Amino acid sequence: MDEEKDIAIEVVDVKKNFHVGENEIPVLSGVSLKVKRGDFALLVGSSGCGKSTLLHTIYGLEEPSEGKVYIDGKDIWSYSKDWRADFRNQSIGFIPQQSFWIKSLTVIENIAIPAIIGGKGFHESIPRAAQLIELVGMGKWADYRPYDLSGGQQQRIAVARSLMLDPKFIIADEPTGNLDFKAGQEVLDLLTEICGKFKITVLMVTHNVEQYKYGSRIIRMRDGKIVSDEENMNSRERLIQEYPDVKDDPSLMEHRAA
Amino acid sequence: MGMTFRKRKRNTDAPKEGKILKMRLSSVLLIGYRNLMINKFRSIMTIGGVAVGIGIITFLISIGFGFQEMVVREVTKDNPPDIIEIINSNLDNFVSLDGTMVGRIHDISGVDRIGRSINTGGKFVMGDSQTDGAIYGIDRDYSEMSPLKMIAGSVDFGDGSEKAVVSTRLAELLGYADPSSLIGQSIGYDIILSGETNSESRGDMVRSGNRIDVGGVYDNRDKSVAYMPYSLLGREFGVDQAQQGKVKAKTQADVPNIRIEIENLGFVTENVGDIVGDINGFFFIIKIVLVIFGTIIMSISAMGMLNTLSVSLLQRTKEVGILKALGAKRGDIFKMFIFEAAIISVFGGVSGFLGGYGVAKTVNVVFNVLASQKGNESIDFITIPGYFMLAIFGFVAFLGIATGLMPARRASKTHALEALRYE
Repeated sequence: MDEEKDIAIEVVDVKKNFHVGENEIPVLSGVSLKVKRGDFALLVGSSGCGKSTLLHTIYGLEEPSEGKVYIDGKDIWSYSKDWRADFRNQSIGFIPQQSFWIKSLTVIENIAIPAIIGGKGFHESIPRAAQLIELVGMGKWADYRPYDLSGGQQQRIAVARSLMLDPKFIIADEPTGNLDFKAGQEVLDLLTEICGKFKITVLMVTHNVEQYKYGSRIIRMRDGKIVSDEENMNSRERLIQEYPDVKDDPSLMEHRAA
Repeated sequence: MGMTFRKRKRNTDAPKEGKILKMRLSSVLLIGYRNLMINKFRSIMTIGGVAVGIGIITFLISIGFGFQEMVVREVTKDNPPDIIEIINSNLDNFVSLDGTMVGRIHDISGVDRIGRSINTGGKFVMGDSQTDGAIYGIDRDYSEMSPLKMIAGSVDFGDGSEKAVVSTRLAELLGYADPSSLIGQSIGYDIILSGETNSESRGDMVRSGNRIDVGGVYDNRDKSVAYMPYSLLGREFGVDQAQQGKVKAKTQADVPNIRIEIENLGFVTENVGDIVGDINGFFFIIKIVLVIFGTIIMSISAMGMLNTLSVSLLQRTKEVGILKALGAKRGDIFKMFIFEAAIISVFGGVSGFLGGYGVAKTVNVVFNVLASQKGNESIDFITIPGYFMLAIFGFVAFLGIATGLMPARRASKTHALEALRYE
């Protein structure tokens, strides 16, 4: 029973097929997984293996052809579209690969946008957004337009936006995919720090092996299936054995040592 | 930093079905307004397009209505719409406007009063001066329904009255440069009486050597005319049948029914409403032409607006995607786009209406200044009826909804993921 309560996200035998013309292409072929509360789970695999599709299915944007998705024990695809929209808004923080913004709003107003969507006014949402912009170290950029910022800065703002409604979960779709190594590392350091501090469950897609060090669990996918799902061993030898190209990355080793 | 997270008091339960959250209207309006402001030039051009369209329509229609009202005002100035003219000239019916008929007409429901008149020719003599002219015999009711523009004195055309009102022209021809000095003088006159004015007469007759005191002078510099009491002509010359009458209805609404009743008695009737109807018919055609012209202009404005909103949607596809991904509902997105259209049409509509009306009023003022320099009276030929204003605002609302509907529906139906992937 306790173990069940400890499960934050559960995916049961999810299949997803896309129709291209008259052809039906299977993208997810019976995926099942469980993510525990407080996990920083990484969904990894090569491009096209179905990890983003699985993430969108869990986030309530892509309806599975078969199977169930439970978040906090709720079968989210048994509810209406509007309910799922509210569930996303109120319970899940979302960080997409490319930060999308409301161009006409300032940085701080964009951080507040989940609360605005949830029915709050700008005036009452801005103070919370102001706290979050300080948290991600971007306070002096509050009145800029988001697209005036660099990619790394925009992703920091995206992290702040994802925290606006104090979510239980964060779903991140390759949040550093468009950033250079240093900027990506800064964003992920920030994310792991905040989520660790506030016990937020994270499910993040990445295909960058250098980022495996951030995950408490690593779920590997290949051809629409989960091929492994295990706790991160933090083992240098194992990482080097599987991914020889990372052996010269000192930051990886420092992180593991810590 | 004072940063706090409600660690354990989180939104532990997602919203139940049936309690769906909605964006506040103020937030939707603010985002729509900000979006217009961020594309200022495009927004101003679009709002300007609507304003020009509405402005031209307002300008044309206010002049159309104004001219119509001015013409009607001039026509009805001395012919109130509740007065019916009775003419005893129907060749198919040998009826006379005698005392019996006057009584029957007076008894018709809705009739307030009836006045009678005859008109005939005569000759006027004053010392060595003499001139031909017209003699009208009218009673008090008739004189009240068709008042003379008196410049001196006054005459009661009631039953006991024995004085005449003469025109300034007649006074002048009789040798009185100052017409008012004729008042109290006695003038001689001959009168030619038509047979139809006397029930016992068999033809026209001339009665000469009559005298009457002048009680008043009215303004008419063109014709030699004397108005005498109808009752006096009855007593002196046996006049007992009027040639014309005027009926005043209690209300304008009674006019059509009274006319039918009078015509059923064999008379011909006229009412200024007939002329007003013709004028309105003419201006109706003019207004139709103006509306067609205005509709063409507005169609161009509407296409510009639709184009702006469509481009705005395409440019904001990813915004729609992220809003939906973060929890915005179809209704929220729909409102966002429809309100943007509403903002454009309201700003354009109000500024166009005020601008069009302002220009029309300015034209009127300039016209009056030029007219006054040439000694003419000022006229007001700019009018916008209340219902037209309502129609304009109704049209503006329709324009906003009609042009905003398609982009708003398309935006609201867009799938979040498709929008985010949109290039």
